[in-house]
Amino acid sequence: MSAKRTVPSEADHPGTGSSQAAEPLTVEPQAAEPQAGEPLWKRDFPYESLAEDEVTRREFARFLVAGAGVMAAGNVGLAAWTQLRRINTGEPRALVPLDEVAVGETYLFAYPEDADPAILLRLSDTEVVAFSQKCTHLGCVVYFDADESRWHCPCHEGNFDAATGAVISGPPSRALGRIDLEVRDQVIWALGYQP
Amino acid sequence: MRASRRSGRASSALLMYVIILVAFQVFLLTVTVEAFMADDEGLAWAAAAVSVVLAGASAVLFRYLRP
Repeated sequence: MSAKRTVPSEADHPGTGSSQAAEPLTVEPQAAEPQAGEPLWKRDFPYESLAEDEVTRREFARFLVAGAGVMAAGNVGLAAWTQLRRINTGEPRALVPLDEVAVGETYLFAYPEDADPAILLRLSDTEVVAFSQKCTHLGCVVYFDADESRWHCPCHEGNFDAATGAVISGPPSRALGRIDLEVRDQVIWALGYQP
Repeated sequence: MRASRRSGRASSALLMYVIILVAFQVFLLTVTVEAFMADDEGLAWAAAAVSVVLAGASAVLFRYLRP
């Protein structure tokens, strides 16, 4: 079905006007059947745009620039959200009597919410530190490695300083979330959470 | 002929610059998300500012891209 249709020329119908019709024109018929390699749905929907297979450099670049604009807007939105949101830093709360935690021992608790695991370490007679137990890499639970005197994440071998929570080695890029503590009347209090 | 070829090459170069800028934007988006998770406002705003500048640069380059 690839027959070509011939348009009548000026000679066949003199006096109809166009001088450009001196030569017979041939018009390719719209494809009524799918050509080789075309999907079958083209038989039922045989319409196509003139340049449906073409994407110019400028059109491609337009999509890229639009994407860049969307990402810039997303970045600004995220920055604004970071600025405006309020992180739950917790309310002051009594945790455990000081004499119940020996030097070098840890105490597990939840802070600021019940779903936030935290761990306390007594470094010396007077020094106590506490951190969120969530590793800042992917959220695994860290534990105190007494032999190496550091916080250790067993999932991906992340290590944090025992006293400061700073990253020593491994994939984490941020320090552990710190919980401010205070000893009042021989009782350890959590004062707030610093992510 | 030679001018047309040079113009086409310039268009390709501009397109490559736009692609590089967009790739850098993707990186900046990850930086902003990381800053969001760490609650680092300074880093988030810095990344957002650079991202806006890059988007503007992409738009400027796009203006010079011939159809």
